[in-house]
Amino acid sequence: MAPARASKFIITIAIVLLAAPGVAADINIRLAEAQGLLQQAADAGYEWLETAALLEQARAEMENGDLDNALALIEKAQFQAEAALIQAEREAEAWRSRVLQ
Amino acid sequence: MLVLERRHRSIRAGAFVALLAAAILPHAVFAGPEEDRLDFVGYFQSRFPNVPFDEFANGIYAIDEDARTQWLEIEEFPPYEFAIERGEALWQTPFSNSSTYADCYDWPLGEIRAAYPKFDAARGEVVTLDLSINHCLVANGETPLAYNSSEMIDLTAYLAWVARGQKIDVRVPDDEPGSLAAYEEGKRFYYSKRGQLNLACADCHVTSVGMYVRADHLSASLGHPTHFPVYRSKLGRMISMHERFYGCVRDVRARPFDLQSLEYRNLEYFLAYMSNGLTINGPGARK
Repeated sequence: MAPARASKFIITIAIVLLAAPGVAADINIRLAEAQGLLQQAADAGYEWLETAALLEQARAEMENGDLDNALALIEKAQFQAEAALIQAEREAEAWRSRVLQ
Repeated sequence: MLVLERRHRSIRAGAFVALLAAAILPHAVFAGPEEDRLDFVGYFQSRFPNVPFDEFANGIYAIDEDARTQWLEIEEFPPYEFAIERGEALWQTPFSNSSTYADCYDWPLGEIRAAYPKFDAARGEVVTLDLSINHCLVANGETPLAYNSSEMIDLTAYLAWVARGQKIDVRVPDDEPGSLAAYEEGKRFYYSKRGQLNLACADCHVTSVGMYVRADHLSASLGHPTHFPVYRSKLGRMISMHERFYGCVRDVRARPFDLQSLEYRNLEYFLAYMSNGLTINGPGARK
């Protein structure tokens, strides 16, 4: 390997090694946020069917080292949990309009 | 996160406003159980003017003629008969302390099914027939049954069978404040949209009643509580009403609650009240 290419390779490896803990830490924060939102939806009685499973899959992907896929799953779960909370907020009153009269 | 904390506070605030409004707004806006029931029955009778009130006890077979023909043929050799026989044997088997199920109840055998669901003031919650069976077992030092167990289904099938001909007569007593709260919780659950499909029980079984969902017609909620437990042909086994609730909630892609959860017991309480006056005809057979 030429000295210039060897240097690039070493620098790239160094960046990856230095950056990985940061990315993993960021994903852990995102995972905790999504888990917190899911818990709020569950407490309100409005948890959606597959949100918890998405977070489980995300954890598995993190263990396998596929952080991109893990992040995509976390974002999907977070979207679902937020939507469930919006649903809970709306239904706190909206159900009354459907009562037969 | 701050936005969602505000949202959560907003949900609590909404519930508070609803309670306040219920206290001060005219009766017509927040009707009591009996007004609700009359409106409920009136809706289905206007949707199906040729169906007599008593017929709603037959569920979908009151409004779907083709399915009714098949059902009547199934009823010639009812698939739930074995459950009744097993349930009778279980009922008559004494506990290890020599007491029996019958000792747990204040009513004659044929009236036990019709006594539930009821609001138990001492416990401060709705007690269903299934829950009462487990209370009985625990009180006698026995292990409670799983709510989807064959034993539980068989016992409730037997109690429904011997109650055939009794009328549903659920009470929401004025002198038990918790009963109205439980009824209102069941009503709220029934009319609330939930899950990824954003559907309420009422969307299918009120608004869309009689319409197709895939190859089947949607049944009316009026009469649902009369015939459980039922033998479901598609599953090849008996299921309880709460297992049906579980399936419906899952089908709208919401996370289902446990069988005999407070949510489902309150829902059963509301639905059974709506069907007051209909004849108990369980156990039943459904597709």
